Amino acid sequence: MIVSKQTPARLARWIAPRAVALTAALSLTSAAAIPAAEPIKIGVIGEESSVAGASITKAAQMAADDINAHGGVNGRQVQIITYDDHSSASDAVRAFQRAVTEDKVSAVIASYISEVALAIEPWSARMKMPFITPGAASTDISKHVHDDYATNKYTFHGWLTSAFIAQSICDFEHDTIVKDLHAKTTVVMSEDAAWTTPLDAQYLECLPKAGLKVLDHIRFNPDTTDFTPIFNKIEGEHPDVITTGISHVGVQPTVQWHDQRVPIAMAGQSSQATTSTFWKDTNGDAEGVITASAAAPGVAITPGTVPFTDAYIKKFGSSPAYDGYTTYDDVHIIADAIKRAGSTDPDKMVTEMEKTDYVGTIGRVQFYGQSDQYTHALKYGPGLVTGVDIQWQNGKQVTIWPRDKANGKITFPAAIKSPH
Amino acid sequence: MTALQILIDGFAISALYALAAVGFTLIFGVSGVLNLSHGGIMLVAALIGWWAAGDLGLGVYGGTLVGIVAGLLTAYLTYFVVVRPIQRSRKIPREETEIFVLTGTLLFGIMIQGGMAALFSDNPVTMRPLIRGVVNIFGVNTPKNEIMIAVVCWVVIGLLWLLINRTRAGKSMLAASINPRGLTLLGFELSRIYFLVWTIYGTLAGIAGVLLASFLGVSTANAGQLTASAFSIVVLGGLGSVSGSLLAAFVVGYLETITAYVNPELRPIPALLLLVLVVCLRPQGLLGRR
Amino acid sequence: MTRLLRSRLVWIAALVVLVAAFLPLWLSAYMLGVLTVAYYFGVFSMSWDLLFGFAGEVNFGPTFLIGLGAYTAAILNNQFSLPIPVCVVAGALAALVGGLLLAMPALRLRGPYFGLVTLVAVLLLQNAIVIFAKYTGGEIGMTVPSVLSIDPRVNYWYALIFMVISAIILFGLSRSAIGLILQASGQDAIEAAALGFNVTKHKLAAFSISAVFSGIAGALLVLYMGTASVGTVIDIAIGVQIIIAAVLGGRRTILGGALGAIFLICANELLRPLGQLNTFVVSAVALAVILFFPDGLLGHVLRGGERE
Repeated sequence: MIVSKQTPARLARWIAPRAVALTAALSLTSAAAIPAAEPIKIGVIGEESSVAGASITKAAQMAADDINAHGGVNGRQVQIITYDDHSSASDAVRAFQRAVTEDKVSAVIASYISEVALAIEPWSARMKMPFITPGAASTDISKHVHDDYATNKYTFHGWLTSAFIAQSICDFEHDTIVKDLHAKTTVVMSEDAAWTTPLDAQYLECLPKAGLKVLDHIRFNPDTTDFTPIFNKIEGEHPDVITTGISHVGVQPTVQWHDQRVPIAMAGQSSQATTSTFWKDTNGDAEGVITASAAAPGVAITPGTVPFTDAYIKKFGSSPAYDGYTTYDDVHIIADAIKRAGSTDPDKMVTEMEKTDYVGTIGRVQFYGQSDQYTHALKYGPGLVTGVDIQWQNGKQVTIWPRDKANGKITFPAAIKSPH
Repeated sequence: MTALQILIDGFAISALYALAAVGFTLIFGVSGVLNLSHGGIMLVAALIGWWAAGDLGLGVYGGTLVGIVAGLLTAYLTYFVVVRPIQRSRKIPREETEIFVLTGTLLFGIMIQGGMAALFSDNPVTMRPLIRGVVNIFGVNTPKNEIMIAVVCWVVIGLLWLLINRTRAGKSMLAASINPRGLTLLGFELSRIYFLVWTIYGTLAGIAGVLLASFLGVSTANAGQLTASAFSIVVLGGLGSVSGSLLAAFVVGYLETITAYVNPELRPIPALLLLVLVVCLRPQGLLGRR
Repeated sequence: MTRLLRSRLVWIAALVVLVAAFLPLWLSAYMLGVLTVAYYFGVFSMSWDLLFGFAGEVNFGPTFLIGLGAYTAAILNNQFSLPIPVCVVAGALAALVGGLLLAMPALRLRGPYFGLVTLVAVLLLQNAIVIFAKYTGGEIGMTVPSVLSIDPRVNYWYALIFMVISAIILFGLSRSAIGLILQASGQDAIEAAALGFNVTKHKLAAFSISAVFSGIAGALLVLYMGTASVGTVIDIAIGVQIIIAAVLGGRRTILGGALGAIFLICANELLRPLGQLNTFVVSAVALAVILFFPDGLLGHVLRGGERE
């Protein structure tokens, strides 16, 4: 730069008007750059090639549209940014990192797969990003929050843990299969997976209390494709009902159960049986299968359930998977927490989310606290969230439990010998 | 009673494994190709067959036919898009062709899997059984479909044997597997023979895929497992030996079934251990030639 | 000519590393995170290339060695709260044992037969993890309490430094006398033995080195991620990615493996907006490269000069 030989006074006269102009321009542009109301961004990580995973992103978008139609959160619009993690935990972690540092979200809703949720948990702690899983079942998710609250408090578990899923199934079997159908015995059949370990442990504890003697406890390799040996074994033991814990498999055992004419009813948790395409995937062999689920079409668990289901079917052509309901609620829960906190500061959000008392589509949502074993897990119980039990009848999911929400009765196809 | 159950279950599943493996070993024996998109081809046959039977309303038999054709077309695609260009490429040294075909078919298999998952989601699906109903064999309830599958597998394998050993085309395939150059000197067109092999392979894989969907169900998530399974059985039996694959399929099928009855948790383990043992002690497989 | 190219390659590599070292000044935590994982994958691929490109062993289960290293470190850290360096060393040792176990059948088997053994090794490890879920967390994985660092830049530099050191050692080995002997025994074991080289000893060495690097990289990866699960370090799909990265980058170049891994992972991230189809597109691109540029990205650049 050429050093000017001009006198300081002339220099000042040269600079001053330009400085004023520059400052004016800068302040004008920055004033214009301050947005009227910056949107609140929520990152949503789903699995587009899976029916359950695809429901997450769809339901999240619907929730955002509903909130924005009613004025947003404190005048700010809710913006959903979606990511597909291809059912891979490492992919999900990268998506999470992108959501936090590139897309600058204020919260993340991610996945129904326990492995993915557990992989994201340490990152939500590291990056101090509130994170809720709408569908995973592992008890470890909330156990980690309990064991190290200060670090892991940003993680919330938006669906029932395995232990409570098992409890709800015990309660269901007590109310219907034991009381109405006078069943006395059962065989527990679950896939040998980490999510079924606490499930089965709870089964073995609560089924006898519900009135069912557990004759056998079969855990099969998750890669099993031929279930004939297992069903043959179960038939030989003559239980009144099979209590299942399956998620990785579902279509195959059901089809083989039907083809083999196994004369024993199947109830319990069969994640694939909760999806709306299950009937088609099994070519109707699902007739009579009972499974626990979050909600079912046509059943008003709360005033909000049916409107949401109908709107979803109208928009997407099929009913939402169980995590569609929970995701829809979770977006509202996050939005409400931000509203009450008055900011998107993570610690304030966490404090407000802990105070959640929200009537969503699956029930009344509250989270367990620091002193409970499963901190930040969904509270289970009548009046809160219990899930429902549905039975496939003639191509439709008929809700058979809880009593006050049931829209049908249990019926079994001819091949099944109804217990006593 | 249990023994009879094991006998029948094992038979059906072994027959299915055999059908899936036979095509794999044939294509290796005749054209030297380790086709790692094998599971993908079976997947396409199964999914398209299910879709045609249900959504297109063609019913079970129509859907099965459509599925087999879809499998055949995918096999052709694999050959013309991936395998043949690599085999003819001048840029790849001769001794490396194998690893390239391996990697190429592997990538193609992943593409098939991804494409199918995008079209159909990764939900497992099953084909409606071709015959409904159960038959009681000495007290063991067996689905008629299971028996039919076993029968079809054996019929197909029998036809294959006839084709290879009794027809001119089959004998030229056998010759091609032993001495391709000699065959060209005798005036045979190698490319025609390879086309024939891939046609047979595609049909076999297509039938296997559709029957698999009918008995066990398939999903895009386990396409890789199908390939690994076929690969294991083929190497156990001896690469290139059709009868070896048959034997190995039955060994593995029965081993898995017996294990499932004893302890369902450990179903695949004994078969895997046997595999390691045989490969270490007798590397050419049970019936393979060195 | 080779010497000239090699020194040019070395200079270019050095420049690239220098640029990479300064990237944390500009890149976001997300991109640093992606590159961190890519660098560890680079080591996976380079180790694979040493075994395949040079010893001629088609290894379908690189994740057997990686998984052994990763899970040993994870279990020691999770169950016994041992410090990080101890866990990493233990992981390396476990992988070494695994590598020697694999080497034994390798000495007697060729081609697809050996490949099958490696495949079965992965399946057995996978099943073992699922069956012993009490200690390993099963298929949903286990948490690794101690992490290398919470700072994305520090994690990035750890990964970069590790990859560079691995690259130097592995590349140096490949160009050394040992590497040439390996290459000879890989392509024609009988001739190599006839020339007086101890093929067995060199193959064992190749397996050991490949195993140690894979094991350390696996351990470091889970200490970075904070979790160890079948889907992240053992699944066959991971092994497939490693093989494709190595072939894509250029087999027998070692450095090509790192390049291929970085390309694959970054391409997958770049195409993230495509959602479901990004794996399809990346696989298609990789297939095209293999068909038209069989020597791979780096190999094409290097050999182009040699051939003509």
